Amino acid sequence: MPLVKIANLYKNFGDTQVLRDISLDVHRGEIVSIIGRSGAGKSTFLRCINGLEPIQSGRIMVDGVDVGAADTDLRRLRQRVGFVFQSYNLFPHLSVLDNITLALRIVHGMDSSRSAGIAADVLRKVGMEDKKAAFPDQLSGGQQQRVAIARSLAMNPQLMLFDEITSALDPELIKEVLSVLENLAQGGMTMILVTHEIGFARKVSDRVVFMHHGMIWESGAPEEFFHNPKTEELATFLQSVI
Amino acid sequence: MRTFDFIEVLQQLLTAAKWTVALSCVALIGGGLLALVLTAAITGPFRPLYWMGRAGIQFIQGTPLLMQLFLFYFGLPLFLGVNISAWAVACITLIIFTSSYLAEIWSSSIRAIPAAQWEAASSLGLCHLQQLRYVIVPQAVKIAIPPSVGFSAQVIKGTSLTSIIGFLELTRIGQAINNVTFKPFIVYSMVAGIYFLLCYPISFYSRKMERKLHAAG
Repeated sequence: MPLVKIANLYKNFGDTQVLRDISLDVHRGEIVSIIGRSGAGKSTFLRCINGLEPIQSGRIMVDGVDVGAADTDLRRLRQRVGFVFQSYNLFPHLSVLDNITLALRIVHGMDSSRSAGIAADVLRKVGMEDKKAAFPDQLSGGQQQRVAIARSLAMNPQLMLFDEITSALDPELIKEVLSVLENLAQGGMTMILVTHEIGFARKVSDRVVFMHHGMIWESGAPEEFFHNPKTEELATFLQSVI
Repeated sequence: MRTFDFIEVLQQLLTAAKWTVALSCVALIGGGLLALVLTAAITGPFRPLYWMGRAGIQFIQGTPLLMQLFLFYFGLPLFLGVNISAWAVACITLIIFTSSYLAEIWSSSIRAIPAAQWEAASSLGLCHLQQLRYVIVPQAVKIAIPPSVGFSAQVIKGTSLTSIIGFLELTRIGQAINNVTFKPFIVYSMVAGIYFLLCYPISFYSRKMERKLHAAG
């Protein structure tokens, strides 16, 4: 059974339909990249998966939990689904350590030494173990994004969602973040990433999805997908970005 | 007409100023507590509470403090059927007045925190109250402190209006002294001077904090 099962998803913002009839299954350990033009609905789609956006119709199941159901405890779901934002969204009033341990302490009720131990582990994974005491505004964009990834990892998620996490970064900082993602991928984490890094998507993904006009226009394994696009729209898009 | 004894007048004014300070403290503490409730009402998810809170705040901000004093001074005995002292009316009116402005400042500070902070906190599994308590309020307080402190100088000056309903504070005593000494310019200069000495340190402190927080980004 797939970890994420999405069937016939529709989503409107007011009168504008932004997602139309989207169906997608993601299995445990799979890495799916979503590419497409701005405004194609990629980020909105990702935000629907952990319930940040309400949906109009269709069904999103994550690890057996119906995300759209009225009685679903979104808090429980979100403890199993990590979300990393384009703009990092670290808590500016907390140190790196406290950013990571906050949810462990108040959601999981851990004591501070246990949560600090987990924080040390995840910070090591993203290469930030020496910045525990720093505050977000003392870090570069790439460092902040690595801390944001560590903050999500600390919750021990089943699934990680990445929303254009390198788009706000200077080119020389993108690499350090992508290499963290690559390590995660090798560790077997299930990931769905919205990205503009076509080369990266090609390298790490098991499957690539092209979104266009709020629909899944084309999808497939990276080799076939990039070498042999079936639709005119994907071919044009790939030409414009590569 | 009595002879004008500067020291004696100053002593009487300073005694009266104690009541001005007392009323200001009651207004700020009581108003602050009420503002917490109001802020929770107008930033919370429950719509009817939002509309009730907004309506109350709009009414207080859209009418002069003097009229509010009259309404409570003449209205409370009418509706409650008991006579109530000028001190009690002054306290009630200023608490309500203060709370509406503080609630406005505090709720704006909360709204000034980007939606992304709420989203990040909820994505980590925090509930609404935990998001407020651990993520939003600590950041909003920093924004809210300078204007709140600055507003407290407005409250101190606002207490002078309670002289009209007969509360014996600094302005009222100044009027009484003038009635027997006939030296309005000197007496009211002294009264104004005392208000200035009460308010200036507060606005100075507020500006200093604003600069400091601004520099801290």
